Amino acid sequence: MSGLRGKVAIVTGASRGLGRAIAVSFAREGAALALCARGPDALRVTVKELRAAGADVLEVVGDVRDARDIERLAALTFDRFGRADVLVNNASELGPTPLPLLADYPPGAFADVLRVNVEAAFRLTQAVIGDMLRRGSGVVLNVSSDVAVSGYPSWGAYAVSKAAIDALTRTWAAELVGTGVRIHAVDPGDMDTAMHRAALPEDDPASLLDPAYSAEAFVRLALADPGTDRVRATDLLAPAG
Amino acid sequence: MTLAVAALPPELRASLPPELRGLRRDRVRLMIVDRAANEVRHTRFDRIGEHLGTGDLLVVNTSRTLPAAIPALRADGTLVQLRPCVRRDGEWHALAVEPLPPHRNVPLVLGERLTTAELFLGVVVGRRADIPLLWRIAVELPDVALMTGVGEPIRYSYVPEPVPLEHYQTIFATRPGSAETPSAGRAFSWELAIALRREGVALAEVVLHTGLSSYQDDEFDLEHRLYEEWSEVPEDTVRAVGRAARVIAVGTTVVRALEGAARDGTLRPWRGWTDLAIREGSPLRVAHCLLTGLHEPQASHWDLLRAFVGAPLLERAYAEAVERRYLWHEFGDSMLIL
Repeated sequence: MSGLRGKVAIVTGASRGLGRAIAVSFAREGAALALCARGPDALRVTVKELRAAGADVLEVVGDVRDARDIERLAALTFDRFGRADVLVNNASELGPTPLPLLADYPPGAFADVLRVNVEAAFRLTQAVIGDMLRRGSGVVLNVSSDVAVSGYPSWGAYAVSKAAIDALTRTWAAELVGTGVRIHAVDPGDMDTAMHRAALPEDDPASLLDPAYSAEAFVRLALADPGTDRVRATDLLAPAG
Repeated sequence: MTLAVAALPPELRASLPPELRGLRRDRVRLMIVDRAANEVRHTRFDRIGEHLGTGDLLVVNTSRTLPAAIPALRADGTLVQLRPCVRRDGEWHALAVEPLPPHRNVPLVLGERLTTAELFLGVVVGRRADIPLLWRIAVELPDVALMTGVGEPIRYSYVPEPVPLEHYQTIFATRPGSAETPSAGRAFSWELAIALRREGVALAEVVLHTGLSSYQDDEFDLEHRLYEEWSEVPEDTVRAVGRAARVIAVGTTVVRALEGAARDGTLRPWRGWTDLAIREGSPLRVAHCLLTGLHEPQASHWDLLRAFVGAPLLERAYAEAVERRYLWHEFGDSMLIL
């Protein structure tokens, strides 16, 4: 229960859903946390709860769309903790709901989804990976989705963005060979989160994964190399055999 | 001590980072000042590995650049730009200049309250006795949150348009605190740094949060008044120096940090303020070589270079750099003193 003691982890989109579950799991493993989210109220609730449980938490209200907020998150993390060991690029934009067909997709919304889900992950990784490369140690975890690899109608920009995250991860992983720094794309599975309800309101919550379950995959990835740059949480967590 | 050289032609001041001029950051030019051969040679930065090898240690400054031009609202409703260069114990020592070029110094009033657009920033409590252009401002907000929230990178007249902050960061930038970019390391790409490591060149860090390169006052700038800067030399770096055959300081800030930590003759871990001035004749106990950018010959920067190189060779290097149209300042070309 202390596999991440002494480590510093940054998690974006940390106030709700998977991001929050990852923060809780990392805190339980002893990590110090820099948590970022757009909404100050929801973030404060998460931060308070983790601090009450004894975690060392830095709270950064910010929007990863904004390059200034990304630089601010990196600067505040290094100012407070002096290092970054794990980065989880979790903050994601689903797009307009009900999800439109691509033929109907508002172009501005398309660009916004790519900006949050791809460009922000790229920028934040670039802002912190220098420290990891210099020390020869660090892990970057990007949240992907099964829509990145299978074509489902109306997942539009989100699917495009997650395929791009897979490509970003694959390329970066090839560049990081031998540096001691790892990067993985993680498909967390279909979880019972606000995002899933917005996308597929008719789904039965009982058929969905608890984000706390998927978050365990992120703990495992922070601790050990699975030997591949793309991982499905359910595969990683499935009992052997 | 001013070198016997002609003034720098203004068009040689780099107005944009190389990557916004269509060059990779590591493809700027590199002038080799070879002291043993008494020779000046010219190459490209990404070929620096031809001059380095096993046993060499590059010591880099991992200080991250803050957006240190802070817009503040004065009690009388006018805007002033604060440029804090020393921040300690809740107090800033800051230049106060006009918000727009030419950014002339603005006299503040003792007891004056300063605000940002939304927040109370601080009260003017005095000025530094040694450097009266620096105002002492009691600040209540956490520095880094405030500065990264409202600041812009400090920019001089040779950079006419705003450049995004990420272009000011070196690839090593970690802990925030520099008022201006520690630019000597700027030309390194990770591609180059990883390749150098593979060739046996080691890398170690110091932190030195840089101050300002100008007081926005030509006469005062000529006096080269130095003030204290925060620096840290970790134990790992002390050990790496002990193992190295040759120590290459990446930037004058690194020289200041290392030599400051070795003041009593031996390099020891250090964490604190340093006010060491290095100039011609200063002992160099740690740094054998220096990688640096090119800055105006009137700047205190060249005083420090004189600790490494005699005037005749340095004057020749300067003249060749001008003749070959090297670009100057934080976004410009580089020089390696071997």
